[in-house]
Amino acid sequence: MTADHSHSHDHTHPHPVNEDDDMDLTEHEAKFLALKAMLIEQGILDAAEIQARVEVNELKTPHQAARMVARAWVDPAYKARMMADAKQAALELDIPVTEAALVALENTPDLHNVIVCTLCSCYPRSLLGEPPAFYVSKAYRSRTVREPRRVLREFGLTLPEETEIRVHDSNADLRYVVLPQRPDGTEGLSESDLAALVPRDALIGCAFAKTPS
Amino acid sequence: MSTRLVSDIGGKPAGDIPREERRQLFWEKQLIAVVNLLSSKLDITLDEFRRAVEEMSEEEYGRSYLYGRRLDGWLRLLFENGTIDADAHAARTAQILASGSRDHV
Amino acid sequence: MSEVAFADGARVRIVDLGKPGHVRTPQYVRGKVGVIERFGGTYENPEDRAYGRGRGTAVQLFRVRLRQRDIWPDYPGCEADTLEIEIYEHWLRPEPTGEAQ
Repeated sequence: MTADHSHSHDHTHPHPVNEDDDMDLTEHEAKFLALKAMLIEQGILDAAEIQARVEVNELKTPHQAARMVARAWVDPAYKARMMADAKQAALELDIPVTEAALVALENTPDLHNVIVCTLCSCYPRSLLGEPPAFYVSKAYRSRTVREPRRVLREFGLTLPEETEIRVHDSNADLRYVVLPQRPDGTEGLSESDLAALVPRDALIGCAFAKTPS
Repeated sequence: MSTRLVSDIGGKPAGDIPREERRQLFWEKQLIAVVNLLSSKLDITLDEFRRAVEEMSEEEYGRSYLYGRRLDGWLRLLFENGTIDADAHAARTAQILASGSRDHV
Repeated sequence: MSEVAFADGARVRIVDLGKPGHVRTPQYVRGKVGVIERFGGTYENPEDRAYGRGRGTAVQLFRVRLRQRDIWPDYPGCEADTLEIEIYEHWLRPEPTGEAQ
């Protein structure tokens, strides 16, 4: 971001700061700006509701799913409810869920779950926000169903042959979240400290939870 | 074998998975907000959007990326159902590109 | 609500309906055999929903578990590895018990 950026003219109305103002306008952005202007002029949307929605979406981050994981690690009854119905378990923690259904997948020493959407970019956005670049890449979408062990090795996860790898193609109406294994040496940690050990990729099955430093 | 959708790439040979984090751009965040609002206001389903994306040519799909596909798929739907006039949108886009400025929107 | 079409654990074959247009059954699982992992609920058929809401009939969705070796004969992983995918009922047929091919 530029340090000394300033507009050469005054705005008569406040609007959110565009942190990409120093980047050249691309054709895609121009097409979007044209669309947005037309939708506003036609009275279909207004700028305030767009901004309000951006702010709602910003609350969707991997921390939401990490909170569920931490609770499941410390509370077996919650974990049982999460495994039975992850959507209800999210709502229980006041996480708003827009997906029709959420399924939690528990990783154990014997079973490692990993999530992919081969047909598009289905992702549990209420719990994790927008998907990372690797998840939406055509290479991840193509290869994860065909050679998951190799893909996971590229992510630094080498799993023993005895561990079953189970790939979940998130191809239709359900959405998934991985419940990673609780790391050793985390006894007695608070829920918020535990949640901090759960990186985004562990919630997709592409990483392990971190061990406390 | 039946026709394979351009988006149906599971199992196809592919190269390295990009591992660099990519920051979501300002306009991309706005796009998501806009399409979230439109899908409820205009009652457009996820499958309509998916179908619109699948109507891209293989070549178009091949070089597209997530937010470009989202925008183009939605534009296709909005042109199709008459919400947005395609010619007026093209003219407006050209005008914005020519000005090189985001400020008049 | 109508009865659930397949019980958990039932062997099924994912068929290739050869249907043009928007479908959610990817090519790589067509013709393959697996077992029902769970019933995933009832949804408006996406093959119709893709052309406007309210056009489709309600269809049941199932989670099907397949052995990777049954999907890819030359699968480069372990025997026990599996894959799960969501398939709507009209793409599924009961499969007699026996070795998956």
